[in-house]
Amino acid sequence: MAVSPLIAYPTDARVSSPLKQRQVSTVPSSSNGTPSLPLPLLLPGPGLGGRPMHQMVPQQSHTLDIVEQMNEEEKRKYVKGKKLGEGTYANVYLGHARNNPNEFVAIKKIKVQKEYKDGLAPDAVRELKHLQELHHPNIISLISVFSSKDQNLNLVLEYLPLGDLEMLIRDVDRVRYGAGDIKAWMGMLTRAVWFCHDNFVLHRDIKPNNLLIAANGEVKLADFGLARSFADPGRKMTANVITRWYRPPELLFGARHYSGAVDVWSVGLVFAELVMRAPFLPGNSEVEQIALICKLIGTPTEENWPGVTQLKEYTVPSDIVPVWPKEAYMGRFGAVGSEGVDLLIRTLVLDPKKRITAREMLEHKWWRTDPKPTRKEDLPRKSGGGSAEKAAADLKRRPGMLDGDENGNNRGTKVARKLDFGAAK
Amino acid sequence: MATEDARYRQSSQYRLWSFSPTQLDAKRETTNALARAMISERLLLSSSSSSSLPNSNNPSAATSNANTPDPDGGGPSLPEFLTPAEESLLLTFYTSELLRAGDHAEMSDEMKATAAALFRRFYITNSIMTYPPQEMSIVALFFGCKAEGAFPRITDFMEKFGRERPEEILAGEFLLCQGIRFAIDVKHPFRALRGAVMELRSFGDIDPSRIDNAEFHAREILRFSPLITDAYFHYTPSQIMMAALSLADRGLAERLIQSTFHYVAPPSSGGDTPMANNGDASKEDATKGSESSSTQAAIVGTYIRDKVLGAIEACRDMLSKELPERREHWTSKAVIKSQIQPIRKKLRKCCDPDRSNLVELQRRRREQALRKADSEDEDNPDGDRAEMDAAVFGGDLAQNNNTKRRKVVEDPFGGPL
Repeated sequence: MAVSPLIAYPTDARVSSPLKQRQVSTVPSSSNGTPSLPLPLLLPGPGLGGRPMHQMVPQQSHTLDIVEQMNEEEKRKYVKGKKLGEGTYANVYLGHARNNPNEFVAIKKIKVQKEYKDGLAPDAVRELKHLQELHHPNIISLISVFSSKDQNLNLVLEYLPLGDLEMLIRDVDRVRYGAGDIKAWMGMLTRAVWFCHDNFVLHRDIKPNNLLIAANGEVKLADFGLARSFADPGRKMTANVITRWYRPPELLFGARHYSGAVDVWSVGLVFAELVMRAPFLPGNSEVEQIALICKLIGTPTEENWPGVTQLKEYTVPSDIVPVWPKEAYMGRFGAVGSEGVDLLIRTLVLDPKKRITAREMLEHKWWRTDPKPTRKEDLPRKSGGGSAEKAAADLKRRPGMLDGDENGNNRGTKVARKLDFGAAK
Repeated sequence: MATEDARYRQSSQYRLWSFSPTQLDAKRETTNALARAMISERLLLSSSSSSSLPNSNNPSAATSNANTPDPDGGGPSLPEFLTPAEESLLLTFYTSELLRAGDHAEMSDEMKATAAALFRRFYITNSIMTYPPQEMSIVALFFGCKAEGAFPRITDFMEKFGRERPEEILAGEFLLCQGIRFAIDVKHPFRALRGAVMELRSFGDIDPSRIDNAEFHAREILRFSPLITDAYFHYTPSQIMMAALSLADRGLAERLIQSTFHYVAPPSSGGDTPMANNGDASKEDATKGSESSSTQAAIVGTYIRDKVLGAIEACRDMLSKELPERREHWTSKAVIKSQIQPIRKKLRKCCDPDRSNLVELQRRRREQALRKADSEDEDNPDGDRAEMDAAVFGGDLAQNNNTKRRKVVEDPFGGPL
C-alpha cells in the first residue's frame, strides 16, 4: 500500500530546494544600477532568495510587492524551452531548472479562454486546487506555480517523457506486454485513485491517456481539470463528467449525487482495455453507451440496483440482459487469471453502492497471486520517438467537459460529449 | 499508512498558511512597513517632479522611510500611514462585511468561510493601504465560490453586489490568486463538527437534544468566530471545531477528549515509561490499537491529551473574543463612527496612488504586458525561439543577455517542431 507522506516530492520548490534558492539569490541583479526604465512596475527586484521576509525591507527596489517578488523568484528558477504543443486550454513547454539543465519540467501555461467570460476558468481552478494538495508517487506532481507577463498562469509540472498508457495499449504491433505488466500498471493506477479518494477528491476523468508514464516507468495520474472534492450529502453535482467510454451508468442516468464509485468504474474499464488492447465499451453516443453496458455487463434493474429506475434519465433497451456471470468474462479476460477477472467484475458492478471501493481493490487477492507485478523499471516502454509531442498533447488536452457549474447551469449543452481531441493535432 | 496529522502537514493550509502568532505579527509588520515605503516613494514621485523619471531621483527618501517605520520627518507631502494595529482592526471590520455580503448572496457556509480565509491570507502579504479591502472582499467572495467548486456567472455576481461592469470584480481575481500563492484549497472545521456529533450520538447515554443544541451553537460559532479572527492561521480544523464545541457545551467537548485519549498507564509499569515526545499521534492510530503500552501512552496518553487540551483552550480563548453576538458590534453605527470611520478617513489619504483602483491597475498592467509581448514576440506562433524565454522569464536587461547566451549552449532539443 502506498505510504504517501514518505514521498518527499517537491511541491513547493521554495521549501524543498534551498540549494536552488541560494543560487538564485546570488545572481547579481542590475536593476538598481540600470538607468531609469519606463516601466518600473515590471522591474524585478534585487535578488531576495532565501532571505526571510522581515529582512527584506531595506533591500527593496520599492517597485514590487512581497508577493510579486516571490513570483519573480519562482519564475526565475525555470527556463522555458521550446513549445511542445498548443491546445485550447493550455500550451505546454519543455523547461528545465535554471541551475540544472538536466532537471526537466513541463510548463503548462493556461490560456486566457476567450469563451469563458467569468475570470479564471474552472479547469484551471480545479487543477490548481487539487494538485497543490495531492502528493503521491502515482499522481503527477505540481512543482511550482507562477504568473508570467501579467495574468498568465504557469503550472510547473514534473516532466513525464514516456507517453501514456493509451499509446502502449494501441501500439499492438510493437509493444508487447503480459499479465505481470498489467498488474503493475493497475497497481499504480489503483493507488493513485485510492489516494485521491482518501483525500476526498474525485478525479472524474480517468482514462488511459490521462495515465502518463515517467522516465522510471512509474504511472502517474494526470489532468485534474475535472476533479472536485467530495460533496456533502444532498449537495447537487453535475452528471456531465468522465469521458463517455469510461462513464459509469449512474452518471449516464443523470445521478446528481455520487461517490468515488464513478472513478472505480473508469478504473475497471482501463483494466479491461489493458487486457483487450481496445476500448471495452466504445459507445458513439450516450444512448449507445447505455446500450453497450446493458449488452456486455447486464441491464440495470430494480433487482440488481434498487432505486435505479428513479434516476432522472433512466432508460434501457427493452430486452433485459441478466448480469453476466464471471464465466462469461473468462474467455475475453482470462489472461489476467481468475482472480484478475474477479477484481474486474467487482469494479464493473452496476449498482455504485455495491461496487468495490479503491481501498478494497488494494486489498484484493489478485495482487498477491502469480504472476507478480513487473518491477517498474522492467515495464515495456513505448517504441519510437515523439515523446515530447505526446507528453504535451497529454497535458494540454481539455478535460472531458466544457464549462458549466455544479448547479446545473449550462448543463446538458455540449459537455462531455464534445471532447477536444482536435486541438492536440 | 499516513496518519491524519501527517496528511494535514502536506496541505497547503499547513505548508504555506500556518504561522505562530509571533510569525504572523512579524509578517504583518513587514507588509505594513513595505507598503509605507512604497507608497511614500510613489506619492513623492507624483508630487515632487514634473519631468520625473522613476527610481533614480529619490533613493534617499525611499530608504530613509524604509528604515524608519514611522516617517514623521519624511517630507511635507506625506500623509499619516495606518499602523499595523489599525490595519488589523480594519481587516476584521471588512471580514465581517464580507461575511454579511456572503449572507446577502445566500452563499453556502463553506463558500463564505473560504472567501474569508482567502481574504485574510491575501492581506498578510498585502497591505490594506495598497489594495482596497472593500473591493477585494467582493473578489474573495467571487473566488470563494470557485474554490468551492461552484462557478457563478460574473453577471449574476455583479447584480448581487451592485457593480456596473464585470471588470470591477474580475480585475482583482488574478491579484487575489497570486496573493494567496495559488493555494486555493481551504480546510474547514464544519465536517469535523458533523463527525464529532455522530461520535457523541454513538455513545448512547447523552440526551440527543443536548447534542443537537450543542451542534447548533458550535456551528454558529464556526460560521463567524474563527473566520473573523486569526484562528485558521494558528489552529487545525479539528482544534477549531473542538474549541467551538467547547464554547457551545464544554461537557460534551471534554467527553470527546476523554474518550479519545483514554489511555491510563498501568499502575505496575512504573513511572519511568518514556513518553515519546512526538506530535504525530492521531485518533486514527488510536483506533488501530498499538502493541506496547509506551506507544499507547504516546498516542492516546495523558501527555498528548494535555498538549491537545492546551491548543483547544488557546483556540477557545481566541474564538471567545469574537463570538457570534459580535456580529452586531461590527455593524453598530456607534462603533463604525468611533472606530472605523477615522481609520477609513486616514486610509483615503495614504492609500497607494498606483494600486487602489483595481480596474485601472489591471488596464495598465495589460498594456504593459502587451507592449512587452509585442517587442518580444511571446505569443507569436513561432515563438519558441530562444529570445522568448527571456521574455517570459524575466525581463531585466542583464538577465536577458545571460539567458540568451546560455540558451545557445544548452538547447539540446533542436529547432522548433
